[in-house]
Amino acid sequence: MTTAGSSPQKRNWQWFQNLLDVSAILAWSALLLKFWLSGQINLLLHPGYVWLAYSAAFFLLALGALKVIHIVGRSLIRARRGSARTRTETPAPPHYSLFPPGWGSAVLLAVAIFGLQFTPQPFASQMALDRGVTDTLTLTRAKPQSFRASSRPEDRTLTEWVRTLNVYPEPDAYTGQKAQVDGFVMHLKDYPDNYLTIARFVITCCAADVYPIGLPVKIKESRSTYPADKWFRVEGRMITETVAGKRQLVIEASKLTEIPKPAVPYEY
Amino acid sequence: MNLLSNLLGTSLGNQINNALTLFFSLMVEAMPFLLLGVLFSSALLLFVDERKLIAATPRNPLLAAFVGSLIGFVFPVCECGNVPVARRLIVQGAPASMSIGFLLAAPTVNPIVFWATWTAFRDQPEIVFMRVGFSLLIATIVGWVFSSQPDLRPLLQPAIARSMPVPRSTSRRSRKKDDEEPTADLLKSGTFILGQAGKPLQLDGDPLQAVTLVANPVLSKPIPVRLQLMMENIIQELRELGGILVIGSAIASIVQVAVPRELVLSLGQDNITSILAMMLLACVVSICSTVDSFFALSFASTFTSGSLLAFLIFGPMIDLKNIALLLSVFRGRAIFYLFALAGQLTFLIALLINLYVS
Repeated sequence: MTTAGSSPQKRNWQWFQNLLDVSAILAWSALLLKFWLSGQINLLLHPGYVWLAYSAAFFLLALGALKVIHIVGRSLIRARRGSARTRTETPAPPHYSLFPPGWGSAVLLAVAIFGLQFTPQPFASQMALDRGVTDTLTLTRAKPQSFRASSRPEDRTLTEWVRTLNVYPEPDAYTGQKAQVDGFVMHLKDYPDNYLTIARFVITCCAADVYPIGLPVKIKESRSTYPADKWFRVEGRMITETVAGKRQLVIEASKLTEIPKPAVPYEY
Repeated sequence: MNLLSNLLGTSLGNQINNALTLFFSLMVEAMPFLLLGVLFSSALLLFVDERKLIAATPRNPLLAAFVGSLIGFVFPVCECGNVPVARRLIVQGAPASMSIGFLLAAPTVNPIVFWATWTAFRDQPEIVFMRVGFSLLIATIVGWVFSSQPDLRPLLQPAIARSMPVPRSTSRRSRKKDDEEPTADLLKSGTFILGQAGKPLQLDGDPLQAVTLVANPVLSKPIPVRLQLMMENIIQELRELGGILVIGSAIASIVQVAVPRELVLSLGQDNITSILAMMLLACVVSICSTVDSFFALSFASTFTSGSLLAFLIFGPMIDLKNIALLLSVFRGRAIFYLFALAGQLTFLIALLINLYVS
């Protein structure tokens, strides 16, 4: 909001503010593009919303470029006319803000620079425990909104199993069915040593709302053979057992194969 | 990050990493919606003339409050954009009920916020509809209550009150007769502005200031200048709201990771404390209404639905940032009334939802 004949100090401040604004905008564009192009965005967002993030990146890029063109153009005009007389500018509509100008851009720039060298990590079993799966592991929040039961039980993913259970919770209905699910290992404290939990995180919007789901797995050996947070494919058969005082559906494992951590660790 | 984990011990390092992942996920999800909100509110501030809206407002105070609450649908501004617009509405002589209705509802009852809330709460669509519906209800009720004070001037900051047109009995039927000025229009001194209806508006305040308050000053500029101003406005709002979004997201991620789960659960599962806690949080965090649903989402698994709703309804109406803005228009007393009325109604509705619906 410079006006004609503003003091050099004021103009310097304006110049600094412009620089800060442009850097913050371009840095955020770069950050969003980095998350998108490196695939790290899969850890942050539901895939349905990735397009929003990269559209925002392109919009910010365009906004930053426009601002740069505007600043350069204005200073060229100023240089041509001599620095004493500048074109009178229309002030933007009055804007009321809580923080001093420059504050917001500085914070945004700092966050973007930090983000550019930060690698998001997929959540691990500790997070699942913190999010309270211990008591009601199978029904924390999964609602059968996109429910589609596979015809063959061994084709069901972990999420599909949990959703099926939510619709018809009687474990005996599934006894004897084959199961083959992928997930990471969790060790629940109140389970005996030959039980582990195979779990996945489900995402609806972004990492802030991921919630864990899982099923108990009965193994022959001690669960210390299968360390927490390692990814396994569990093959076996469904049985009904009372574990930790609760009658529930359990996978009796016949085979556990270690698998690499998937690029998209969430299910939907 | 590995270095960080080694330095701080794996557990704490993991916690920090989780908090940072949450933080960036909130930021990345919210940024497009923030941009969209800022883009629309900038465009509309620079291309829409509120005087036409006022002319089309019904005279019945209840209907006016309802219409005012719905203006957000054509004027999607978030809570930073709505105060200047409400200010211009008031100064141009819009009925109190309409201005207050607009002030409270516009940040929530608009398509962008609806989409953002839908994105966040796809799993619980009832939250989205209840948010919009109850915001509309509360804004209409509070607007209606304020219509019992036909002359808003005692509630406004002196500078604004002086710039307001003197209420006339002919201008709005809802105005009481005793407000009528006995002097003939032609005999009055002061600054007059020719309104669209061909009727002069009288202003009591500083004429220069009054001119910028009454009309949207930008509307008289040529299109290229307006576009340039629009860009400036986008950047200005983006940096301000982006800064607050950073703080809000940081608070949400720290609470999720650092506060013991037992405490969060004991607070969040109770019908009453959960609502109070979320309303307090809404006040303090001051997060912009286009992105606050993502903030609320991170509490969805631990807090009651009623309390999430209270956060989503109350936050856009009143929060710390907003109070600073409101003080540029209203006196403290009026803000207190707004705060108390909106707060009580929100609490009541959220409690009913907790007790009877969810």
